[in-house]
This record gives sequence, C-alpha cells and structure tokens, in this order.
Amino acid sequence: MLGLILRRLIQLPIIILVIYTITLTLSWAIPGNPLEKPEGRQPSAEVIEAMKRQYKLDSFPAFYTSYLTSATGIDYIKDGLSGERKRVREQAEAAGVAAPTSYIFNLGPSLQYNDWNVNQIIAGALPVSVVLGLTAIVIALIIGITAGVIGAVKPNSIADLTTLMVALIGISLPSFVVGTMLLLVFAVVFPVFPVGGWGKLTGLVLPATTLSLPFAAYIARLTRMGMIESLDADYIRTARAKGLSEMKVLLKHALKNAFLPVLSYLGPATAYAMTGSFVIEKVFSIPGLGQHFVNAVLNKDLFLIMGVVLIFASMLVLFNLAVDVLYKWVDPRIS
Amino acid sequence: MLKLIAPFVILFAAIFAVVASDKPDPPADFTFINRGDVTTLDPQRMSWMQDLRVARLLFEPLVRLDVMTKDYEIVPGVAERWEVSEDFRDYTFHIRDDAKWSNGEPVTAQQFVYSWRRALLPETAADYTALFQAIEGATDFFEWRSEQTKQYAVRARDLSNEERLVESQKLWDEALAYFDENVALKAVDDKTLTMRLTASTPYWLDLCAFVVFAPVYEPLVSQYEQIDPDTGLVKLKLGWTKPPLLIGNGPFVLENWRFKRSLFLRANPDWWAKDSLDIETIAIPSVEDGNSQVLAFESGSVQWVSDVNADYRIQMLADKQAFYDENREQYEQLKAQGLDAFAIDAALPDDPRKNIHALSAFGTYWYNFNCLPTLADGRENPFHDARVRRAFAMCIDKQRICDDVMRIGNIPARNMFPPGAIAGYESPAGLDCISDAKNEAEKQAIIDKAKALLAEAGYPNPAEMPRIELLFNTDGGHGIIAQQLAKDWEEFLGVRTFLAQKEIKVYKDDLKKHNFMTGRAGWFADYADPTTFLDLNRTEDGNNDRAYSSARYDGLLDEAKLETDPEKRMKILAEAERLIMEEDMPLVPLFYYVNIYLFDPDEITGISLHPRLQQDLFNIDVLGDGKGRDQVKNIYGKDQN
Repeated sequence: MLGLILRRLIQLPIIILVIYTITLTLSWAIPGNPLEKPEGRQPSAEVIEAMKRQYKLDSFPAFYTSYLTSATGIDYIKDGLSGERKRVREQAEAAGVAAPTSYIFNLGPSLQYNDWNVNQIIAGALPVSVVLGLTAIVIALIIGITAGVIGAVKPNSIADLTTLMVALIGISLPSFVVGTMLLLVFAVVFPVFPVGGWGKLTGLVLPATTLSLPFAAYIARLTRMGMIESLDADYIRTARAKGLSEMKVLLKHALKNAFLPVLSYLGPATAYAMTGSFVIEKVFSIPGLGQHFVNAVLNKDLFLIMGVVLIFASMLVLFNLAVDVLYKWVDPRIS
Repeated sequence: MLKLIAPFVILFAAIFAVVASDKPDPPADFTFINRGDVTTLDPQRMSWMQDLRVARLLFEPLVRLDVMTKDYEIVPGVAERWEVSEDFRDYTFHIRDDAKWSNGEPVTAQQFVYSWRRALLPETAADYTALFQAIEGATDFFEWRSEQTKQYAVRARDLSNEERLVESQKLWDEALAYFDENVALKAVDDKTLTMRLTASTPYWLDLCAFVVFAPVYEPLVSQYEQIDPDTGLVKLKLGWTKPPLLIGNGPFVLENWRFKRSLFLRANPDWWAKDSLDIETIAIPSVEDGNSQVLAFESGSVQWVSDVNADYRIQMLADKQAFYDENREQYEQLKAQGLDAFAIDAALPDDPRKNIHALSAFGTYWYNFNCLPTLADGRENPFHDARVRRAFAMCIDKQRICDDVMRIGNIPARNMFPPGAIAGYESPAGLDCISDAKNEAEKQAIIDKAKALLAEAGYPNPAEMPRIELLFNTDGGHGIIAQQLAKDWEEFLGVRTFLAQKEIKVYKDDLKKHNFMTGRAGWFADYADPTTFLDLNRTEDGNNDRAYSSARYDGLLDEAKLETDPEKRMKILAEAERLIMEEDMPLVPLFYYVNIYLFDPDEITGISLHPRLQQDLFNIDVLGDGKGRDQVKNIYGKDQN
C-alpha cells in the first residue's frame, strides 16, 4: 500500500508538468490579447506594452519558466535562500507597514479582476466548491445506492422500472432546467430555501441536490447492476442458507461487492462535482471554482486559466489515488 | 458497513463546520444587483460601469453631477467652489475644510495631484489616461515616461542587482521631477488645486465629476507601490482596495467585499454631506444568471436589478404595456400632469407588472464600415467608397430591427447621440433609412437612390458586388441583428451577404486590425460632450476601428478645440457629426441602447431617468422603512407640486 502511494506521489509532478505544458501552449495560442477588454475601454499601446513587459507576456519561454518557478514554490525557496524576502520584510517594517503576503505557490495576478490575485480567487472559491461537491456526492450516494438496491431486489418490478426511469431523467435533464425549476418551486412559490447565494446551510440544499442528480442516477445504475450480479452469486445463497436476515444479506454481503464499481466511479466523479459545477454556480449564484474554468478561458486570463487547471489536475490525481487506497481497504485482494 | 458510513459522518460534520463558520452579511437597507462583478475599486484604473457605480459611493471627486436634475447640474463635491477662466483653459478648485477621508484625515490638493499623476503613468494601466491628457504637459509626461522605462528595461540587463535598485529609484525620482516641472497641475496649498488645459474645454467640470478623477488616499496607496528594479516600472501591489484597509472620501465606506459573492457598504460618518443620506447600508450580492436575478427580485431578496437580461424580459415589458392599457385613462391623466415615468408608475394601482422599466441609455449600437481601400487579406473593399457606405446605410429597416428583433423598446438611431443627452447640443438630421419612408413610393425612392449611388461608385449591378461580410461576436444577441441586417441588404439592394460570427476576442482583434468589411460595434458615452463619441473617428485614434480618415473632419474637431465660445463650439461639433452621419458614413447607427431595470416604484425612490442613466445610489430612499426622509424624490421632469 505504501509503495502504491509513493509511486503515485512520484508520478504526480510529472503528470502536472505535462498538463502545465499542454495547457499553457494551448492558452497561449488562443487568439486575442489578454490585456485587451473587448467590451470596455482600451488601454493605449504604450500601456499594453508596459504591461506585457511587467507580466512577461512578450515571450513564451520566459513566461513558461517564470510561471512554473513561481507556481511550484521554487521562487519562494529561492527568495528565502537569497534573503530577498527578508529584505522586503525589513523594508516594509522600516516604512511602518505590513509586508505584502508572499505565497509559497504563487499563481500570479488575475488579468481580468485587477484587485485580486489567483491565489485569493482560488482560496475563496475552492472551499465552496469542495463543500458543494462533497455534499452533492453524499446525496448522490444516498439516493443512488438506495434506488439501486431497491431496483435490484425485484428486477423489472414497478419499483425497479420507476427508479430506472427517474435515473434516466436525472441523467438527461440539464442542470439549468432542474435548478431553475427547483428554485421556482422551493424558493419563489414556496419560499423554503433562499434563491441563491452562499453562507447558509439552507442555501446548500437546492444546489447540492441539483448537482447530485446526474451522479445519483449513474450510481443507481451501477449499484443495480452490481447487486443483480452479486445476488446471483454462490456466497449469497450460502449467506441465506446460514439463516441470515434478508437485510443483512443485502446490505452486508451483496452490497459490499456491488459497491466496488461505484467506488471506482467516485474518484473522478468527486473531482468533477467539485469543479464542474459551472451551470449550478450560475443558477444559484454560488461563488465556486467552476465558473473560473469557463470565464478565464473566455477572458484569456492566462494566470487564472493556469491556476485553476493546476489545481484541478492535482485534485484529479489525488482523488484517484484516494480511490485506489479505498479500494484496497474494501477489498484487500486487489493489489 | 460501519467502515463505510464513518467517513460520511465525518464529511457531513466537516461540511456543517465549513458552512457554519461562514458568516453572511447582515440585511441591508438597500440591496441591489449590479451590472456585473466589480473588477477593481481603484478609481484611476476602472472603466466598467459596475466598478464606477460602486466607486461613486466610496470616493468623491472635486465636483458631482446631480443626476436628479434635468441638465445634470454640476454641484460641489470635495471642492466647495471653483473658478474657470473665460477661455475654459484655467481651472482653480477650492477644497472644502470639512472634506475628510474615512479615517478622519483631511482631503488635500496634493492628494489630487498624486492621484491624477497615477492615472498618467503608463504602468498604472489606466483605461482613461486620455481624459487626463487634456492637462497641459500631461501627454508629454506620459510619452516621456513610456520611453524612459523602455530604455531602462534594455539598460537594466547589464546592471547588477544593487545597481538596479539604485538606478530604478533614480528613474522614478526623475519622473517625479519631470511631472512637477512640465505638467500644469499644481497644488498651490493644501486646499487649492489649479490646472491649465491644452485647449478650451468647457466640459472639464463634467470630467472632474467623473469618479476616475476622484482622489485616493496617498499615505495608504503609496505603501502599495513598489519600484520594480528589473523594469523600472512602479508595480502596484494588491490589497489596499479591500476592507478594512480601503480608505475613501465618499458617502459610504466598504465594510466587506467577498470576491464574486457580495459587497457591503455602510454610510460614512465622516462624509461632509452625510445628512443627505436616507439609507444606512447597501448590499450588492453577486447574482450572475439572468433568470436568478429576476427570481431574487420576485422573492424579495433584492430591491433593484440594474440590468435585466433574462430572455423573458420581452414578455415582462409586454405585460407592462398590457397593464398600461388596462389603466389607460389614469395613465393619460397622469402623463398630462407632466409626471415622469417613475412617478406615473408609482401613482398607478399596485401591480407586480409595473416593476419593470425600460430606459434609454446614453449609448448607441452601430455597424462599422471599413474605410480602407483593401482588406487585410488584400481583397478589394467596396466600403472604401463613401457612396457605397451611404447606400448601405440607407437600405436598413431600423424600425423593424427595434420592433421585431430587439423588442425591448429601442429607438431607431439617426445619428450618434440619443436625443436630449447633451445639454445645448443639437444633432444633425442624419440620413433617411427604409423605415423613415411613409409609403411604398418613398421606400422605393430610397432604394432607387441607394442603387444609383452604387452605380456611381462602379457597381451598376449590386448582385455582382463582392460578397458583403458582416462581422459580429457570439452571444449577446448580435447574431439575430446581423441576420436581419443581411436580409435587408439582400432584399433592398440585392447583394450577396456572409455572416462572420467570431468569438469576442477574435472579433475585437479583427476590428482592431481592420480585418472586416462591416462589423457590429457600439459605444457608451463617458462624459456629456459630443467629443466623447466624435473623437472615435479621428484619424489615428486608438478606437477608430473603421480607419476613417478625413482632413475636414479632423480639422473641425481641432477648430472646436480652439473655439472658446461654447455655443459656437457646439455648432462646429454638430457640423462634424453631420459630416460623418450624412456624407462620409464611416458607421451606421442602428438604435440607442436600452437599459432595463426591475424595482418597485412604490418602494424605491431616487433612481434617475435622465438619458445619461447614471445612478448615484446615495440618492436612494427606501419608502416606508422608517429611515431617512421617506419621501418620493423629486425626479427631474416632475412638476413642482
């Protein structure tokens, strides 16, 4: 197990570097000038030139290395060793002001939101996305597994067909439709939940439910399939023969095996739920990370694109690792 | 099984902890949804409408515009009085003694010099640098500084780290000295600010009321400036625009700002005119989705949606029309009394349908014509000929675009300015288009005239013209306008058209590089002078995407600069507008923009109806909340009763 974890952790920086290179090359190739505001007032040519010099946007190799060293913390270590950070701190102290924050992993400024840097944007948005995504996955698991088990106990019964149909609807309906309908019913017609925004537990219910539906549907189908298969297995017959209660047979013996495919789905699903909630963030006005994936590319906000992609890539690798570890824990036979 | 449940229990506990630790803002007296997310609160760097709107609450310039008056009167701001020379070139402002920052310190003239100098540094990347360049010597300073830092960047490569520290500091000291010596902006003493302008500028006071000209608190902001030894540029560090650091001098102070979530403002007890406020707190939640904005309003969690863009707003406006029809008699009576639109709405019976308001904005939607002889790829450009441009401009059914495509009450545009937006300025008549024809015969006459113009220009058979390309960007509803336009030209002129839809950055790039035949564009006015639009068509102007160049037009604008009689000056500018709107046609205006608000006129007062459509939220009063005067504000146009 330790070997597995170690091996994956060594792979992590290589994967990230490859993703970094590909993403930066592609983002660099997006036509248009990142310093220009298509709908706003245009800065003059001199200004654009000064900004390009300041952000190293005039040369790909220079930007590639400078962003890499600052985002990976190499610059931070270098500044520490050369005493540069100490110098800045002393200078600030001499002037009687607080020293500027220095980030270990400095992801750069946002070109679109002048008053914020990428670290601040991600620090604000990531916890929101993580909470929303995890809640959605938990809801999806509860709904999905329950529906899957009910369906598997009596395949092709009315209960089974109903859950299958609901699952199909859950997968097919786009979340802006579900979200808007839930808002209309539970926030405007019956004002049980707030219309949107973040900061209240009640405000989490509607968006998390909306986000969970496609996942719940998929999990239901996976569970149903797995359960039907394992309910036919010999060890279930044995368990029943032992005189175990049907509940115990279902939940303890059958479900444990049927859960494995769900588990392997959970890794990417969790990462996706945490970052792919663009539509839900828009509908429910949630300040999460998903919107930055889309908006940063549209605005060609190079630093923000790289920042969110690096975070997402790291999360994806780490979640897959976590799933592998869980797998081993649930079923020690897997090597 | 327990093994599997345990992690979920821990997870739920963690989720509860995270959400519970997050404190939402308290309820505010007035809550509204801004046009978009605030990108910056640094007055010198901003240009987005949503930023400017919030900045006007946090910072106060020398003078203010009273948006509740018909002529947008200039009223004292930080300056209690001012003197203007007869030729409108020398301005002296006297700062009031009780003008204070939100930390209690006095506002000084030196702080204005510091703030305006920031706007003139290329590295500040101020979008409105050009406005400040009206000051004598300012353009020189800007160019001098650009050149100096460019040279320094080359020089610095051969310097050691220590040398760079010294040299970059020296460069900065030189810049300060150059500014003091050459730029005609002076703080005579703590309370007196003088400036001399390069040309006669009667609208300078209007500019001084623009919040980009507001001061920033030097002791705070200067701490966030750092000279970059590698480039010699002043690097601005982030942080000072956020609470609790931000220090302003406006009606409100920023208490909380959470990115993409909300801003929360509270009345500034140190503001000199704080007694005029009728609300204590303002909350600005970030709600991006158009449908959610309307739902937020309908559920009562916000009181004003400042830019309704849900698709069904068309239906909402139709519903309001139906509401007016049901109350036609009363409506006409109220109108006859001279009440303005909001006052009429407030007087009509209570009904949720009356909460939507379509207002004309100080902006124009148009199509650019590329005036260069050839396109970027070397093809011949038919729009090089002004006759072709005129012919195409005439063969548009603008009314149909407004009525059938836009459907939100836009008014067809005959020229560049919405009527009545600029006091004392009379726009020319402009060209007639298809929808100006009263009958079929007139319509045919316009088409015949256009075809004759094309024939004169060497296109006797329009069907044989090069295919006409219409450039526009995806989203924003520009596609259907382009389709209608193409259809008009095919129908009336018989030309072949091609719709070139591009992603917004690519579209903008194409416009900049003049890589288009005709393309969608628009402009919102920055200040109340015709030059805010007319300067766009000057030869070599950074925003002249049309590559229009006319010695006569440039000459008229120059002449206006020298003219010291405001009335004559407006006449010269009107002649310049006539030139581009009736003869040369580098662009064809289609309609004036409309802005759609959602608020209950029985509940909210203090929103301006003036076509410049600037909203100063320190005017707001929530009626019946027991705070402030709780009186309907005398919106301009309303009778004295």
